[in-house]
Amino acid sequence: MTPWYEKLSKKVEDNAFKLGLWTTIAILVGGLIEIPPLFLQGSVKKIDNVKPYSALELAGRDVYQEEGCFYCHSQMIRPFKWETDRWDPTRSYGDTPYSKAGEYVYDHPFLWGSKRIGPDLAHEAALRGSDAWQVKHLIDPRETSPDSIMPAYPHLFESDNLVDPEGIQDRMNALKTIGVPYSEQEIQGAAAIVKGKTKGDALVAYLLKLGRDTKQK
Amino acid sequence: MDEKINYDNEIVRKFVLATLLWGVVSLLIGVIIAFQMIFPEVNVHPWLSFGRLRPVHTNGIIFGFTGGAIFATIYYAVPRLLKTPMWSSALANVQFWMFNLTIVLAALSLMAGFTQSKEYAELEWPIDLLIVVWWVILAVNFIMTLKNRKEKHIYVAVWFLFSMIITIAVLYLVNNAAIPVSLTKSYSIYSGVIDANIHWWYGHNAVAFFLTTPLLAMMYYYLPKHTRLPIFSHRISIIHFWSLIFLYIWAGPHHLLYSPVPNWLQTVGMLFSLMLIAPSWGGMLNGFLTLTQAKEKLRTDATLKFILVSLTFYGMSTLEGPLMAIRDVNSLSHYTDWTIGHVHAGGLGWVHGICAASIYYLVPRLWNTNLHSEKLAETHFWVSTVGILLYVVSMWVSGVTEGLMWRAVDAAGNLQYPSWVEIVNELFPYRLVRALGGVLFLSGFIIMIVNVLKTIKTAGSGYKPVDLREGVKASA
Repeated sequence: MTPWYEKLSKKVEDNAFKLGLWTTIAILVGGLIEIPPLFLQGSVKKIDNVKPYSALELAGRDVYQEEGCFYCHSQMIRPFKWETDRWDPTRSYGDTPYSKAGEYVYDHPFLWGSKRIGPDLAHEAALRGSDAWQVKHLIDPRETSPDSIMPAYPHLFESDNLVDPEGIQDRMNALKTIGVPYSEQEIQGAAAIVKGKTKGDALVAYLLKLGRDTKQK
Repeated sequence: MDEKINYDNEIVRKFVLATLLWGVVSLLIGVIIAFQMIFPEVNVHPWLSFGRLRPVHTNGIIFGFTGGAIFATIYYAVPRLLKTPMWSSALANVQFWMFNLTIVLAALSLMAGFTQSKEYAELEWPIDLLIVVWWVILAVNFIMTLKNRKEKHIYVAVWFLFSMIITIAVLYLVNNAAIPVSLTKSYSIYSGVIDANIHWWYGHNAVAFFLTTPLLAMMYYYLPKHTRLPIFSHRISIIHFWSLIFLYIWAGPHHLLYSPVPNWLQTVGMLFSLMLIAPSWGGMLNGFLTLTQAKEKLRTDATLKFILVSLTFYGMSTLEGPLMAIRDVNSLSHYTDWTIGHVHAGGLGWVHGICAASIYYLVPRLWNTNLHSEKLAETHFWVSTVGILLYVVSMWVSGVTEGLMWRAVDAAGNLQYPSWVEIVNELFPYRLVRALGGVLFLSGFIIMIVNVLKTIKTAGSGYKPVDLREGVKASA
């Protein structure tokens, strides 16, 4: 006897339209159940201290993206003691020093990464909060961390490798249209703030913003 | 039958050559970045640093190499299965050139640092739009060919290809939604956890609907054609097709276990990943059982060997993946080289295996001659298989090693390896073996290219099917 699914399938497999239709339905169900609920109000718990990236930090985030830093560095600390011990040894992030949804509300796109060739950077502001160290490390990672396998980025600090002052305003405006609460004033002042800054300066500013807003002491 | 219908083989030939070209370039980049991870001096130029080259490698392999082989199959197998030429040869050619332009622009723009920074969805919006155009062209051509078909029954390979065309369109449009700032910069309209969730819904299903379903279509077409024996079970193919496409979509959140993504979502992702073992193994078993009908050829036929190893890796990766989606296993494997090993078991083992078998099937028929050397194909098989094993095993060891070192604590409960660099140093030998495995694999691929080019030199000399069984001399 032909089983029921084979009879059903017979109807579909000889009819291109039905095949396409049922395939479409089959592949939509999972996404429709998994994705829209996250857009509901309150599904992402806000953290009041978390502020948008400043003009220079945003420019630095763009450099972080350009260089593909996220292929080797995660920005998401999992709730394990061995992770929180490693990335919050001084307990600067309270009783639950792992990553929370509210920390990322201004992250377009998210930069959690999927691979730790280097260490996590979500708490960089607390762990290595000095400009000088960050600059030195980016120019020659092996000077601050012998045996590091990170590429060197001296070119980011060359005096002609600058952040584009007009471009940064366009970028902030674009982000504003999708919900990042930049004020007109902030956007107006952005060009002056980033003027003359190298891409390296911007990157360091961004790195020092990572984990700064949620740091408690 | 084939002779009576005027099939366009030229477009298939072009896609086969593009597959070989993008394959060798992307593999070479893979080898370079493997060496960058052990010798940072190999980062010789800002455009050629690890962070810039990694997406060129992944996009090149996924969309350039695998895409080329998939499109070659669409233009070869679909008309033959439906007993009608493609609806439009011109559109196929337009798609071919736009596809290659996309790959070139992708490589250049990624090296220049233009990126959306979402894995396998890095390309900036103008290139995304270009892709949308040729994807629609492909879809129209495919659907019109289906409509004009002379064969009433639609064979399972066509279902799998159809599911790819539909699903990739949906995934691509949703995940790449971005607000443009300039020609070379845009921001994802989603943020944080929402972006992560949508992205891995896309990312996981790029694996499902670009690296799995069209490859299953290739298995369902080339394997029975090559052995001239029917597929083992049509019933299995029905059940595993529908359950595979339905279940796969749900599995994305297993990339986000222990992240701030809601817990229910993580659990759903984990459960559906486990359920996926059944339809994945359904496909694998159908392939294996079809293959066993021709087992007397296995010892001597490199094409079948590639399919055998490919199915083995498919079965292994589709068991390993669900296991890695279990929270406790994931706590060890996530963020480590284990993931890279898993991906390459699937990529080098499954994807390349089926693609190589397809190329060895297609080339003699397309250029109407016999393969230059079965022996070279055999060499390619062994060199690449040893390369894959070195790669995958070293990454397993490396991944588990680093995972264990990250969590190791001493008697007082303090981290035993607080220094990151100490862990990196420990991984050096494994990563060296991985790079060497990559070199071997690349060498195997070059052997295939040489073999194909030498075959093309004798184009038109007449293709005669060869029975490769031991002791059988006469052609069948």
